[in-house]
Amino acid sequence: MYLETKNLCKYFGGLKAVDRVDFQVREGQLKSIIGPNGAGKTTFFNLLCGLYPPTSGKIHFLGNDITDKKMNQISQVGITKTFQITHVFPRLSVFENVRISAQSRKSSFNFWKKADDFSEINERTVEILEQVKLSDRKDRLASTLSHGDRKYLEIGIALSTNPKLLLLDEPTAGMSPAETVLAMKLIRDLRDRLNLTILLVEHDMNVVMNISDEVVCLNEGQVLACGSPQEISCNEVVQRVYLGGPKEC
Amino acid sequence: MKNDLRPKVQRGAGNRTVWLALLVCIVLPFVISIPLATEIMIFGLFALAFNLLLGYTGVLSFGHAAYFGVGSYACGMAIRYAGASIWTSLLISIALGSLLAAIVGALAIKKRGVYFAMISMAVGQMFYFLALSPLKRWTGGEDGLKFIPRLKLEFPFFVDLGSPYPLYFFVYIIVGISILVIWRILNSPFGRLLQAIRENEERTIASGYNVTMAKFVSLVFSGFFSALAGGLFTIYLGYGPLHSLYWLTSGTILLMTILGGMHTFIGPVVGVAVFLYVQNQFSRYIERWELLVGILFISLVLIFPDGIVGTIKNKYLERKADDTSPETEPELNAKTETEG
Repeated sequence: MYLETKNLCKYFGGLKAVDRVDFQVREGQLKSIIGPNGAGKTTFFNLLCGLYPPTSGKIHFLGNDITDKKMNQISQVGITKTFQITHVFPRLSVFENVRISAQSRKSSFNFWKKADDFSEINERTVEILEQVKLSDRKDRLASTLSHGDRKYLEIGIALSTNPKLLLLDEPTAGMSPAETVLAMKLIRDLRDRLNLTILLVEHDMNVVMNISDEVVCLNEGQVLACGSPQEISCNEVVQRVYLGGPKEC
Repeated sequence: MKNDLRPKVQRGAGNRTVWLALLVCIVLPFVISIPLATEIMIFGLFALAFNLLLGYTGVLSFGHAAYFGVGSYACGMAIRYAGASIWTSLLISIALGSLLAAIVGALAIKKRGVYFAMISMAVGQMFYFLALSPLKRWTGGEDGLKFIPRLKLEFPFFVDLGSPYPLYFFVYIIVGISILVIWRILNSPFGRLLQAIRENEERTIASGYNVTMAKFVSLVFSGFFSALAGGLFTIYLGYGPLHSLYWLTSGTILLMTILGGMHTFIGPVVGVAVFLYVQNQFSRYIERWELLVGILFISLVLIFPDGIVGTIKNKYLERKADDTSPETEPELNAKTETEG
């Protein structure tokens, strides 16, 4: 199994944010996590990427136990996340945003050589900017980008670390319907072209049902159901808890 | 090909500013008084070292007088008690300043924001009181470290550091080389990493960087150059003053840095020059010069919210990008309280 959690728990005081979650992702899969607000989706993500240590349980990635690794170490083994609220480097250029992240795969404790002279990193940056369609805005400060472009930039920053598993936390949040369609297409494209394994938290059911291979529904920290988009949208419990009441299938 | 990949804004402009500043400093002692020019060079280096941490890494230390003062005393004591040469004394300054920074870093660099500022201030004050009283026998207490013999350089050639011009150019060469080294560090992969940390620490960690280690190394570099400036200060004054360790020195260097522009490379040096020049002029004519200096600084900070160099640079960039970009530089929040 590519990624696997066993009995994963995270408690904040008395709150069981993530409660005994067993979860698997296969290589090349695009898997989505849905669930009502407060279901523990983002907490679950933050456990995977090492932002919080879990209260108990195990996380295995590519056969290795990564439960106790910190966020930067987890990034180095190949799991990179994007943030629900965009996290870019506001006062750096778009180019530098991606370049600095790409640089993390090389030794960065180099105090003397000029950062701009690493042609391999520069070429990689150009390639990434091409992929997320920001090439024409590479000299702009990240803070001057529109919200949608900033979301793209964030995906670019994550891609530049060559992730084996990409965690996207609500990639289309705050986007207009038109932007959402484009973003969906981009994510799908990236997956196909780069053969990425992607895990996605998303509220927009259209996005989820359209692009996922498999969907997991969380509620109150626990796995409610897991299956193909079709199965999930027809699941009665999921309909009741999340999709706004029973529907015909 | 390689050149074409770089973003336009980063090409060349900064380099030219640095060389221009170094050129200006050559003629400085012929325009203003030599002691003032020497002091500007020394505090300019101190401010750059301080800004390596504040403006480039985003870490506020409110106890930088510790590194400066330790450098100052270490240099003076090595000369006075061990008869060490100027070079050896400066090396001892640097070594002790870096060591102190490493200790503070190991203890406190994980703490963020105001917590780190407070811990660094406490360490600074600790050294101040150590020098003031328990170690009085060696440090001279309130009077500072006196009785340092007339200084001269014997290697690579003889220079009498007791006379103003040779002293200035001795300081100029050391500070100039330091400025170029700091510039080089800031443009290395490591320097870029520091700026990413300043911009968004969590994102930097998520990209796989060991941010704690980077901040630690940044603090050690800062301590290194601050102590070097401290050592030069003793050589310039001919004694080691107690106020080099006092918290007000930490406050002043922060004020100078913000005044010049903490988000620019050369800004802190400009801030130092303006501050010292104004202080020098006002104190000549008015007894209570602090009052006027205070008012002047409040107005300067209001006129130049991003610091003198920062604001000018932003205006220039705005004018350049007038036609296309919707909005330019974001608010930089460089506001501060100022007192003379």
